[in-house]
Amino acid sequence: MSGLEVRWDGVSHRYDGEDVVRDVTLHIAPGESVALLGPNGAGKTTLTRMLMGLVRPRAGAVHVGDWDVATRRPDQMAARVGYAFQHADQQLFARTVRGDVGFGPRRLGRGDAGVDDVLAELGLEGAAERHPYDLPAPVRKLVTLAGVFAMQPAVLMLDEPTAGFDRGLRARVVEAVRRRNAGGVTVIVVSHDLEFVATVARREVTLERGRVVKQGSGVGDQGPGS
Amino acid sequence: MIGFRPGTSPLHRAHPYTPLAVAGALLCLVFAARTPSAVGALVLAALALPLVGGVLGLVARPALMLSLPTWILLLVLHGILGPDPHHALGPIAVSEPGLARALVLGGRITAILFAFLSVLATVSPARLVEAMTERGVPFSATYLLVSTLTLVPRMRARAAQILEAQQCRGLRLGGSPIARVAALGPLVLPLVLGALAEVDEQVLALDTRGVAKGIRRTAMEPPPDSAPDWTVRWLCLIVVVAAWGDRMLGALQ
Amino acid sequence: MTTVLRLKDASFTYAGATGPALSALSLEVRRGEVVALAGVPGSGTSTLLLVAGGYAPRLVGGAITGERELSAHQPAIVFATPWTQLTGLCHTVFAEVAFGPASHGLERERIRAIVLRQLHRLGVPHLEGRDPATLSGGELQRVIVASALALEPDLLLLDDPAAELDPAAADDLYDLLKDVAADGAAVLVATPDTARAARAATRAIMLDAGRIVADGTPAEVFA
Repeated sequence: MSGLEVRWDGVSHRYDGEDVVRDVTLHIAPGESVALLGPNGAGKTTLTRMLMGLVRPRAGAVHVGDWDVATRRPDQMAARVGYAFQHADQQLFARTVRGDVGFGPRRLGRGDAGVDDVLAELGLEGAAERHPYDLPAPVRKLVTLAGVFAMQPAVLMLDEPTAGFDRGLRARVVEAVRRRNAGGVTVIVVSHDLEFVATVARREVTLERGRVVKQGSGVGDQGPGS
Repeated sequence: MIGFRPGTSPLHRAHPYTPLAVAGALLCLVFAARTPSAVGALVLAALALPLVGGVLGLVARPALMLSLPTWILLLVLHGILGPDPHHALGPIAVSEPGLARALVLGGRITAILFAFLSVLATVSPARLVEAMTERGVPFSATYLLVSTLTLVPRMRARAAQILEAQQCRGLRLGGSPIARVAALGPLVLPLVLGALAEVDEQVLALDTRGVAKGIRRTAMEPPPDSAPDWTVRWLCLIVVVAAWGDRMLGALQ
Repeated sequence: MTTVLRLKDASFTYAGATGPALSALSLEVRRGEVVALAGVPGSGTSTLLLVAGGYAPRLVGGAITGERELSAHQPAIVFATPWTQLTGLCHTVFAEVAFGPASHGLERERIRAIVLRQLHRLGVPHLEGRDPATLSGGELQRVIVASALALEPDLLLLDDPAAELDPAAADDLYDLLKDVAADGAAVLVATPDTARAARAATRAIMLDAGRIVADGTPAEVFA
């Protein structure tokens, strides 16, 4: 599946009386891979939640391709954006790993077709018939990532996808993300894992206190962004 | 439903035992009262709690929603199907003693709901822990009470996260009855499985923080217990003893 | 006594498991050591921490065989998932960190001093009045480490303690572990971050399928 453009245009949001996102404009081209960086509380998670319609900006607009997110529900956005939450293993419910990974694709009307491929890609084929809660926490997290990949989204939005992973698991995730980006999928990651970011992202956008303060590629900074 | 809401009302500022004592007293008093007027007075007294606590808006809806099915059942079972004499009320024949019984029973439920929901909304679990710790209550009892009080808000927060996660996997809310039932699995199962896993984690978490048997814990910030506080609590005890004493004496005569 | 933990041919099997999580482990850990434990998920690093602290089988069930000598007066453990270690009873970070020493019945002033010291050491004194439920992953992880240190442990066990931290905070944490060991405690840290662990650790152990397959300096083991 090829990627879509993602646009935040002049978005702002307040939470509990505090500005968490201040007039942010950010465009990500189709097939681009971007990392959102910045300290905790910079507004990264709020921006990403806007993509799914989980948070509606107080001002501005968010678009994924030709879709205005304001006119869509989160379950509709799932057809275009694969969102991996940071503490994702709260969503596991099926009796088997295969069953859970297939949930998203089945919801989208795609059936179980690509599920076994994704399981193999992430090294989970041996755990396919096991109950997710019998697996160690890092493997459960890998299962939820598999679920996101299996939905074959045009945009991948990954929040701390490698937290808690050792090198082996991290390598599997890096490969899976790079493969999809090479295939044209737009990739957005929020991560403190600078090694992961350097390997996967071609552009880094740094946020601080709700604003974009820096944008750069791996080659060198391009100065303050808007 | 209800969870603690921070505030500065007299109920918030009181020693945590005080609102609990008042609610407990109301619970005892409504069962001592036997006439609709007595129970009605106690319902009004129970309404004073959320008013004083500034949480009437928060408490009224769940209290009324929870008591409504009981009221309907009582009015039908006792008010209409109760013993004679019956009086015509429009097209319906209402049983006089039955209606009185329904009012007493329904009033009891309503008073208890208003009282305890107000306590839930105004007694800070953290202050309650400190108050119980200062009195030397064993940690196990403290934990049991406070966990029960905070169960609903915690589950709600968890449920909200699960809901978001499943929506982002394409789960649509609403729709046909069959679709709604089908949506229960992905929403309820992680909540239950996660909650069970959390119990194991909590046991570990508390033990690893040195919760040791036999050692009296230190209360870091015990809430002040003022003269008005213990006056109110003593009054509650006296009123309850008097009411039940009166009822027992009445029963003996 | 400088040895805080001694295991000899110790095996541990979780209840209902088909095979042991730890197999015939022999290990001695002394005060002043910082030992890095590494291995793929399922290799037994987390289990070893639970066994070393006396939490397994006591709290998690299962069966242990072989010899285990726990000489630590006060073990403390930090899990890889800090949000599961909140007591759920404290509405401020201060109260959360004070929970451990308060459980030991220490005096209020002493507890206050301990809490403030640990919050400063973890670089989070500004979080003192915050509700733990509102903290970010990184802030929470540091608060939980502070909570463990507030117990003034002689054996500190940590499972991937920097998973949620940004690089600067992770560096600070591992430097802190060196200080904790220098103060006389033994530190066991299970981590996938072998590069950072190598800088702080005096010793490294590699586990595979519940067995120790390497035990030496970080340079030797993580080469």
